Amino acid sequence: MSQQALQGLSVVDVSGSIATSYCAKLYADYGARVLNVEPQAGFGTRRLAPYMPDQIESAMHAYLHTNKLSLRRDHMDPGQLARLIESADLLLDDGTSDEATCGGVRASISWYGESGPYSEFVGSNAQCFALNGMLKNIGRVEGPPLIPTGYQAEIVGGLTAFTGSLAQVLAGEIGNRSTPVHLTTSIFESTLCFTDVGVIGYYNSGLSAQRMGINRYPPTYPLGVFPCADGWIGLTVLTPSQWRSFCRLLDMPDFADVEMFQSSVGRLEAIDVLEPVIRERLLNQSAEELFYRGQTNAIPLARVPTMEELFGVDQFVARNAFTKAQLPSGESLTVPSVPFRLYETPPKFGGVVAALGEHTKEVSSEIL
Amino acid sequence: MKSSDPLAGIRIIDLSMGWAGPLACRHMADMGADVIKVESCERFDWWRSWEATPQWIKDGGAEKSTAFNMVNRNKRNVTLDLAHPEGRKLLLRLVKTANAVVENYSSSVLPKLNLGYEVFREVRDNIILMSMPAFGSTGPWREFRAYGSTVEQSSGLPHLNGCEDDPPTMQHVAYGDACGGLNGSAALLVALRHQARTGQGQFVDLSQTEALFALAAHGILEFSATGATPRRQGNRSDTIAPQGVYRCAGDDEWIVIQAFDESQWQALKQEIGPGVAGFGGCEERIARADELDRHISAYTAQQNATRLMHRLQSLGVPAASTHTAATLLEDPHLLERGYWQWLERAVVGLQPNPSAPYRSGSQPFAIKSPAPTLGQHNHEILGGDLGLSAPDLERLTELTIIGTRPRMRMG
Repeated sequence: MSQQALQGLSVVDVSGSIATSYCAKLYADYGARVLNVEPQAGFGTRRLAPYMPDQIESAMHAYLHTNKLSLRRDHMDPGQLARLIESADLLLDDGTSDEATCGGVRASISWYGESGPYSEFVGSNAQCFALNGMLKNIGRVEGPPLIPTGYQAEIVGGLTAFTGSLAQVLAGEIGNRSTPVHLTTSIFESTLCFTDVGVIGYYNSGLSAQRMGINRYPPTYPLGVFPCADGWIGLTVLTPSQWRSFCRLLDMPDFADVEMFQSSVGRLEAIDVLEPVIRERLLNQSAEELFYRGQTNAIPLARVPTMEELFGVDQFVARNAFTKAQLPSGESLTVPSVPFRLYETPPKFGGVVAALGEHTKEVSSEIL
Repeated sequence: MKSSDPLAGIRIIDLSMGWAGPLACRHMADMGADVIKVESCERFDWWRSWEATPQWIKDGGAEKSTAFNMVNRNKRNVTLDLAHPEGRKLLLRLVKTANAVVENYSSSVLPKLNLGYEVFREVRDNIILMSMPAFGSTGPWREFRAYGSTVEQSSGLPHLNGCEDDPPTMQHVAYGDACGGLNGSAALLVALRHQARTGQGQFVDLSQTEALFALAAHGILEFSATGATPRRQGNRSDTIAPQGVYRCAGDDEWIVIQAFDESQWQALKQEIGPGVAGFGGCEERIARADELDRHISAYTAQQNATRLMHRLQSLGVPAASTHTAATLLEDPHLLERGYWQWLERAVVGLQPNPSAPYRSGSQPFAIKSPAPTLGQHNHEILGGDLGLSAPDLERLTELTIIGTRPRMRMG
């Protein structure tokens, strides 16, 4: 079997938040040995929707915890646990733990960081998107603004912490760091990557994007998700040449060369003229066929697959974009595969999810 | 460069354009890698403008792009016309000195220039090449084009957002870009770690759409686990109530309020008062969510959103007011944490820059330099690093292989 890129690294997660779990998942899927030190009731991710049909096992936990080992904290000798953490390359926590010192990198992921007026706030996915300025621009003009669903902020926080922490691990290996380091990541600040360009834009122009309605965002039109005869098509037309190609695609020759429509902002300003025609044209076409015809003509169109359709999309099937996680009950679950591929050191696709405390004895016996 | 920078001594050639690729490389630069961004005077980064005109060039537009400047700080910039044999050769000489190359061109571009992983390997056998196409480097869609918006549309995420009666709802104008960039940083570091340990380079294939599946995992897994199609339910939740975005006093002011457990609900209930006294456990609250939301809205409508956020948070109730691009620069939390770093940048003057979201002390990693201007480091890199003489550089300028002013494309 090929070597894995993160082989030889040991990671201990003592919090099991969604963010630490996703961060650790990336380490595990690329070959690190990840130890979950779970409380008696297990990590909180074991009680996270969505669930398997038995309503007991969490599908989200399964996705987040492939290829990791599970230890029960209350079944371990505290001294052993301290030595385990001391010898780890990376300790992951949520910033509230009172653990023994890690000899390598300690990476704490919290909602708002460890300082500042929000540091004691109770955080959530929705709150991060409210405070980062994204939520307010989603939805109908009259409101209410709409919450981005799920656990997106936590996943982004975990991904960001993975980058920050792996750079520190690498620094230790290549001689750029010789002492332990405590790295802190704010989930809120991690999500500012989606909106900070707008903030600087406002500083420079005095203009701040306003909520314009469902699927309407500056600086261009057409952009959004539109109904077709057989499903949904995603449009983004940005450049003058894309606009002319799009006009040919939808048989709108009268619009192709209008000077105002050569500019993305010009088209956005003319939305009341353009939208009825575009909608009418799209309704009579097949999204599937339009997508291929558009892409052939270098127009970045998208199929917008439902969850049912996603698993059958030819591109995703060809790339094994989805794989199987094996749950402790023996059930298997289709989950997204690792997000990037290294050709010489392939990651693990899918994997086994440990039962609570499954590896306590095995790992304890290794520790002096 | 200080030796304490985690990635000091690592060099990355950044051929990428737009948001995702440059952001991936910016994280490397923020942590001390020497990132050399390569553009050409005719084929400059399209994020400077996708509608360039002669007037835009005359007005110095290429140096005024907020978006470009945000994702290219801490880098050096060299211009090379890669379509010219000498420009191509100089790129390969740079690659010879580098650990990794990052690109997100459309898939036909590098082969047309007689460049690619195998060519880079000929000059440096342990090079890493990371490609970041929207749909990955293999499969029937490998040559398809996309923006960050296309990536969000293609990930299925819009089917999880918005209200049931509305179309599948996008969250952002280019959601896939920042997410693709973050994944790019992660992927590059994984490959760099392997390279440092074994001396082996490799090709890294990042599909920006697949990178977004993690953010749609809640919906993907619901369907996968149960076969049931997730419902778009606006701001409501199947598992908690209240959860909503409630109007506050003022123009378009809102607050997010949630109660994840009974103690949070009890605290909120006491704060709102008699109107919600009759609401019981979570199941009942979910069943009577319309009625509950009306009571909460009546309460919040009289309140200042920011003050209410602090009041509710002090009681342990999850709450957040809604910022806009116009208010984020003044956010007291970000100000106290030194999140916005101010740097002078040529042409545009003093600019705020967002810090890296990870830090190893009370202050963020200091940003050392603003985004470079086009070709700003031609002499430093081509003269200093590659040892070209002044007459060589003059000749390259005359041949328009290098330069510091953008030009409209010919033909």
